Formats: sequence, C-alpha cells, structure tokens
Amino acid sequence: MSTRHYFYKGIVLLSAAGLLAACGNEGDIPGTDGGTDTGTDNDNGGNGDDVSLAIMQGKVEFNAQFNELAEMYMDENPNVSIEITSVGGGTDYFTQLTTRFGAGDEPDIFSVAGPNEMEQMADYMADLSDTDAAGAALDGMLDTVTDDDGSISALPYNIEGYGFIYNREIFEEAGIDPEAISTYEDLEEAVQTIDSQLDELDIQAVFALPGAEGWVMGDHLANVFLAHEFNEDVNEAYNAETLEFERGDEFQRMLDLQADYSMEPVLSLDYSQQVEEYFSLGQVAIIQQGNWVYPTLEQMDPEFAENGVGMMPIPLDGHEGQLPVGIPNYWAVNDNNDDATVQAAKDFLDWMYLSDEGKEFVINEFNFIPAYEGYEDMEIGDPLSQVVYDYSQSGETIGWIFNGYPTGYTNNEFGPNLQAYLGGEMTWDEMIDNSIAGWESLQ
Amino acid sequence: MRNKELSFWLFITPVVLSLSLVVILPVFLGFFYSFTDWNGLTFNQFIGFTHYRRLLDDNQFRQSLWFTFRFAFVSIIVLNVIGLSLAMLVTSQLKSRNILRTIFFMPNLIGGLILGFIWQFIFIRVFSALGDFTGIQGLMGWLSTPATGFWGLVILTVWQQAGYIMIIYIAYLQGIPKSLIESANIDGASPFQKFKYIIFPLIAPGFTVSMFLTLSSSFKIYDQNLSLTGGGPYNSTQMVAMNIVDTAFSSNQMAYGQSKAVIFFIIVATFSLSQVYYSKKREVDL
Repeated sequence: MSTRHYFYKGIVLLSAAGLLAACGNEGDIPGTDGGTDTGTDNDNGGNGDDVSLAIMQGKVEFNAQFNELAEMYMDENPNVSIEITSVGGGTDYFTQLTTRFGAGDEPDIFSVAGPNEMEQMADYMADLSDTDAAGAALDGMLDTVTDDDGSISALPYNIEGYGFIYNREIFEEAGIDPEAISTYEDLEEAVQTIDSQLDELDIQAVFALPGAEGWVMGDHLANVFLAHEFNEDVNEAYNAETLEFERGDEFQRMLDLQADYSMEPVLSLDYSQQVEEYFSLGQVAIIQQGNWVYPTLEQMDPEFAENGVGMMPIPLDGHEGQLPVGIPNYWAVNDNNDDATVQAAKDFLDWMYLSDEGKEFVINEFNFIPAYEGYEDMEIGDPLSQVVYDYSQSGETIGWIFNGYPTGYTNNEFGPNLQAYLGGEMTWDEMIDNSIAGWESLQ
Repeated sequence: MRNKELSFWLFITPVVLSLSLVVILPVFLGFFYSFTDWNGLTFNQFIGFTHYRRLLDDNQFRQSLWFTFRFAFVSIIVLNVIGLSLAMLVTSQLKSRNILRTIFFMPNLIGGLILGFIWQFIFIRVFSALGDFTGIQGLMGWLSTPATGFWGLVILTVWQQAGYIMIIYIAYLQGIPKSLIESANIDGASPFQKFKYIIFPLIAPGFTVSMFLTLSSSFKIYDQNLSLTGGGPYNSTQMVAMNIVDTAFSSNQMAYGQSKAVIFFIIVATFSLSQVYYSKKREVDL
C-alpha cells in the first residue's frame, strides 16, 4: 500500500508543476519527471495462431522484472507476443486505463485494485473460474472477486500484510518474549516494560506513530477494528451507507497506546522518519507497518533487516493472533476479445503463477508473497514476508476492507479527523461522529 | 488598436492563439463543467447550481478559505515591508550591496517544492535540536500544530519571495531623481521625512506592482503548502488551491472541485483587480 501513496504524491507533484506553469507565476518551475512508463501497444497482426497480448498494469515497481518474465514466456511460446504498459499507481493508472478503453485501444490483460475500479470495469472482465490459477488460489483469496454464480472476475497479484514490526534485540534486552504477546493487555504490559527502561536500552521511545500519514491510522490501524463490522468483506464496506465504529473503544485504546509512547511530535512524524530514521536505526522498538518496508530496512542495514526484525498482529479482543492480510492488486482479462486471445491471456497468467520458471520469478524477482498454492517448499524472499505468508497459510487473518472506503475518505475525512483527535482538537466522540458523517457524505 | 495593418495581426496571432487555447478556453470550459456532473472524462447531465449550494455547507472549504485569507493578509504585509527594507538597504552606500542583492534574490531561484522540503527539515529537525540545546520550548514541535504550520508557511514564503519584491522596489528607488533628495537634504529634511514625503510617494507604482504580485501569489500558493505541511495537522493548514486539488484528484469529484475553482477564481480576480484600481489612484506622476 505504501507504494500507492508514493505514486499518489508523484502525481500531485506533477500537477503542482503544471499548476505553477499555468499560473505564469514569477517562481521557477521545479523540474519534475513523470513517474510513468507508458508505451503504445502495437498489434503485430500476425497470421495463423499468432496472438499478441497487450498488458496494462498499475504496479510500476516490478515493471523491469515483469518484462523479463514476458520475454521468457515469448521465448517458450514463439506464437505469442506480449506488450507491457506499466503506469504509476493510483488515480493516474486508472484514468489512463479508462482512457484506453474509451479510445478503443483496449488492453487484453489489465490490473484493477479494489471494488470501485472493479465495478467500473465489470463489463470487460472475463470469467476466470476455469483457469488453473483460480483453482490454486489460497483459501479466501478469491472471496471478493467471486460472483454469486461462481464466476471469478479477477486473480490476485500477491498478498501483503501488516502488523507491529518490532526490533528483536530490544525485546530481548528488555526481557520480553514477543511470541508471548497476544492480547491488548500483554502488549500494554510489554510497552510499559520497555518504556520504563528507555535509558538502559538506549532508545528514545517505544513507538514511532506517523501522525502525518493518515493512511497508517485511517487505513491500516482502523481496518483491524472496522473489518468485523463489515464481516471482513471489502465489498460490504464498499456498499455500506454508513459505519458504526462498534469497536471504537478498542480502536481508541490502541491509538492512544501508540501515541502516548511514541516519539514526539506525533503529528509531524512521517513514514520515512518512522521507518528509516527511528526504526531502522534502532531508536524505537515497535512500528506499525507492513512487509513492504523490508527493502527500505535492507537498504539501511541488511544485517538488521535479515535477522533483527519480526512482525506480530495488532491485538483485537476475541481475534488475537490474527494478522491483517490483503490483496492490493488483481489481474483481469478483457472479455471484449476473440476466444483465442482470452485463452492466451489466461494461459499466460497460469504460467506466471504455476509453472516452475514463473514461480521462481514471482518469489525471487518480483518479491511477491504468493496468493497461490504450490509455493510451500520455496523460500520466501524475506522474514517479514515469511510472517505474512505463514499467517495467510494458517488462515489466521483479518481481511482488508479499507479498499472499500468511499473514494478520498482517508485523505480528506478520516485521516484529518484522527489527526485532530491526536492534536486535542476533537474528542474521541466528535472524531467518531465526524468520521461517520464524512462517510455518509462521500458514499 | 490604432494599427490595423496585416502585420500587426500576424504578429499577435501566435500569442492570441496560444492564450486562448491554454487559458481562455479552459476557463470557459471550467465554468461549463462546474454546472454538470463531469467526472473527468464524460458528463451525463446538467445539474445547475447543485455544486455551488453544496459549497455553502462545506466546512473544510470554508476553513481553507479563511486560512488562505489570513495567510495572504499576513504575508502581503510582511513581504512588502521586508522587500522594501531590503531594497533600501542594498541601494544605500553599503560596500557589500551588490553581493547582498544576489544573496537576497537567490532563494527565489529555488523551486517551491524543494524549498518546502528544506524548510520542513529546518522546522522539524534543526528547530527541535536548537530547542533541546537552549531549552526554549517554543522551538519544539514545529509544524505539528496549526499555529506553527501557519507561521512556518509565512516564513517560507517571505524567505522565498522577499528578494523578488526587493528587485522591484530597487528599480523604483533608483528611478527617484537625485535632485529631489539633494534639495531635501539642503532643506534639512530628516531621513524619516525624506522617506515619508519623497521616497514613499514616488515608489507608489512599485507598491501597485508588488501588492498585485504578492496578493495573487499568496492566494494561489500550492507547492510550498504541499511540501511543507501537506495540509496537516488535520487539514488545518490546507489552503484553497490544495483543497481544490484534493477534491478533484483524490476524492475524484472533478465537477465539484471545478466549482470550487470557479469561486476561487472570482475571489482572487476581485481582490487583485480592486487592489490595482485603488493603488493606481494613489500613484503620483512626476
């Protein structure tokens, strides 16, 4: 999820440059380069059994590796030619996708993220229930894309998960066994134990809560306490007229715990400070983040990243030991095509996730946590991803529902409300009331 | 339009054409879309003033407007006072005046986004380090409260733009005839009297220009806002431009964002034009 926010920022920066230029201001225009990588799909218009697949997808980070994989596939299957267009995530990708559909230049495989995009593309998404990949998907991975009639409209890219990432060494020195923490009370006790010996441990605080990042609190933390209200179903959240905050008290308790024992000032603390400065340099013991921080940690200190970090779930009464695990992106196959092309697209997806070469690539080059069976014997890329994979295998998970929030909810309503609560501008009850009203107004 | 020759029209055609394509036409399109349910690609129907009625109840927009007004008010005053002071300083007999001009102007050459990040570092890290060192509590926790966010933005804007305003004032200060100052000296006018009765009235056109520039730029600030505070904490430092971008691009309510932009355009145009009108009336000709 973090990547989405980086690209979102990129888009905004670009617009900023544009706005400035349009205003004809006296200021100079900062040179920003687009973070997008677009190409046009050229139809080779081959004869016989030749098929060309145009792929358009929104996860630009693995573009290079994905292209390599496509090359391999084309070497194996000379009659298939693949053209990949990767566009930097979020709004930008989806706008370009709809534009391409609008212009009649439709890709044969495309990515969708979340119920909002799926609803808009529903008419174009082929039934994938006959693919091998659909059969091999792990339990629950297809719940949100399965229709009542059993048809499956999309296949997951990969899994991501988040929780409390902790520093093993600090826990050890403080005499706490992270494995033994399961309830909120356990966590609170551990936090207080660490807090009482900050000086001995030579750290600055227990937590680093990035109050400047609405998504860490509004998307990720809140998801733990809101998921069960919507039966862990992102579609139910997407269609909900309102929300209740049934577990609002627990949510408040957890937010307070993080804020009270966090580095100050919480409200200007951002993602990079949280991960790079405070956690990877050993200044705080715990951060609430996901497996996507691993490359960053590795860059800062490979030794620490490899052996020094662990991840545990965010305790929720009655659901202890469950990690929030979800699917950020899905593959869809364009239905508005001849059968041969649709079949070729399905074959490619099957090959990518189920063939030996494909699996090797998915794990080691894409650094994906697979959402499919058949990876049990393989070594997952890094320890944090391993934790997420283990939880998803055992089924001890909490579903992601925040992709079903109304568009812009976290950015413009929920996040600011939570910040106002942390800043003392709102009471918790006002925070709840405003966030409910905000949901209703955007829905 | 006295010159109706063909060459006249030929020469202005490129400007007129590009101006209408990238400014005038989009403005009209914008007005048009604000009355529809446009989603960025297509629109289905006209919905009249629905968006504008909704604006009346939009607390965040109102709050952004109020914040922008306060910000513009403070930064216009501070910018002009400091810009003029700097101009007086570097037109005096100081030995280092040329190097000072360059130094004062330099921040203006750095892009607003980058400046925002640099100042974010200064406010958050350097200030708190200084606060730790000296024990001054006022230096701690900058940008984490609405007040420090506000002043942070003012400081950043003034630091960036004062040099530019200075250049404008320098031009007008140097345009004052030496004979006037000399005769004032002979009459025994004090430095304050010289400033009040000679310099000040003669640089009035400079005020018109500088006020116009600072007014419109303070209202329209976006990049500094984005990179310094990002609107935080809790959107309390979100200015109107940013509110519009968020509405249109992050909440994906293109037409609603467009109606905000129309209102904003009307406000900025009204302020700028009336300011120019009144300042013009005060100018004196030699």
